[in-house]
Amino acid sequence: MQPVHDLFFWVSELPTSIAIRESLLFSPYLTVAHVVSMCLFAGLIVMMDLRLLGIGNMSTPFSELQKRLFPWQMLGMAMSAVTGLTLAYSDPMRFYVNIFFWTKMLVMVLAGINAMAFHFITYNSVLTWDSRATTPFGAKLSGALGMVLWAIVIVSGRLIPYNWFQNN
Amino acid sequence: MLEGFFNQMGQWPVSQAIGASIWIYPTIQAIHLVFLALFAGGMMITDLRLLGFGMRSKTTAEVARDARPWMVAGFLGLVATGLPQLMQNASREYFSEFFWYKMYLIAFGLIFLLTVRRKMIQATETSAASKVVGLISMAVWTGVTINARLIGLFT
Repeated sequence: MQPVHDLFFWVSELPTSIAIRESLLFSPYLTVAHVVSMCLFAGLIVMMDLRLLGIGNMSTPFSELQKRLFPWQMLGMAMSAVTGLTLAYSDPMRFYVNIFFWTKMLVMVLAGINAMAFHFITYNSVLTWDSRATTPFGAKLSGALGMVLWAIVIVSGRLIPYNWFQNN
Repeated sequence: MLEGFFNQMGQWPVSQAIGASIWIYPTIQAIHLVFLALFAGGMMITDLRLLGFGMRSKTTAEVARDARPWMVAGFLGLVATGLPQLMQNASREYFSEFFWYKMYLIAFGLIFLLTVRRKMIQATETSAASKVVGLISMAVWTGVTINARLIGLFT
């Protein structure tokens, strides 16, 4: 992937990228902030997915749960994105050769597609199952996929420092 | 005395086995984070309701009752995946200030959860008091998370 390689390499040579990379504490603190924002994002996504599966938070209608949690999920996503992108910006060549980094990126795209598919297909019929004790198959599928995909994102993200398969 | 125990814990066969494998410890770390998300979600959905941001058509007690099993499951998962990490790293973690900050904050967080927060959850109206309780709860568990991550980075 020459264009991607060139882009990552170009970023790695930028003065701000080098400055963050060479700072002793910036990256560790970014990592900490990334984990805290992950809790906000993934924690509230899990709560919504459990509701979609029909096994958690069932006393609240789905549309209300979704409406109330959405701003916090977006805040968590924005914070995760800012901290994560800065981490990638600060040391792109380390991530370029890392299989877990690319696994995480790919699975995040799949999780995004899952969320969009739910929003544009299953959510249209929300009024027919909003307060029911069971949720339709489409909702269960989105909930299960959401939990599995975000769990893979978290696991592969945590494994990035371990470059078992890295070929330097 | 405690130092001796921590040193001994690091010598247990199971601790040695975890340390001898290149993938067991990282895998446990990664799963620990998945349980963290579950725990944090169950905690925050109730804390947000205490702050008056949550599902306002339901009482805090109803939101909390729904979230509790998932929060407890998350906590048990965190303990189950946290202990092996401690065992493998016992003698180093004994000297990590962040490890002890984390333990003190967990102790405070659990006592707070089972006393003040539990009582406040029964209140039907959002008040200044319920907001303070929600904020303290979020701050304490965020502190646990921050110190936990710092153990790994600076130990």
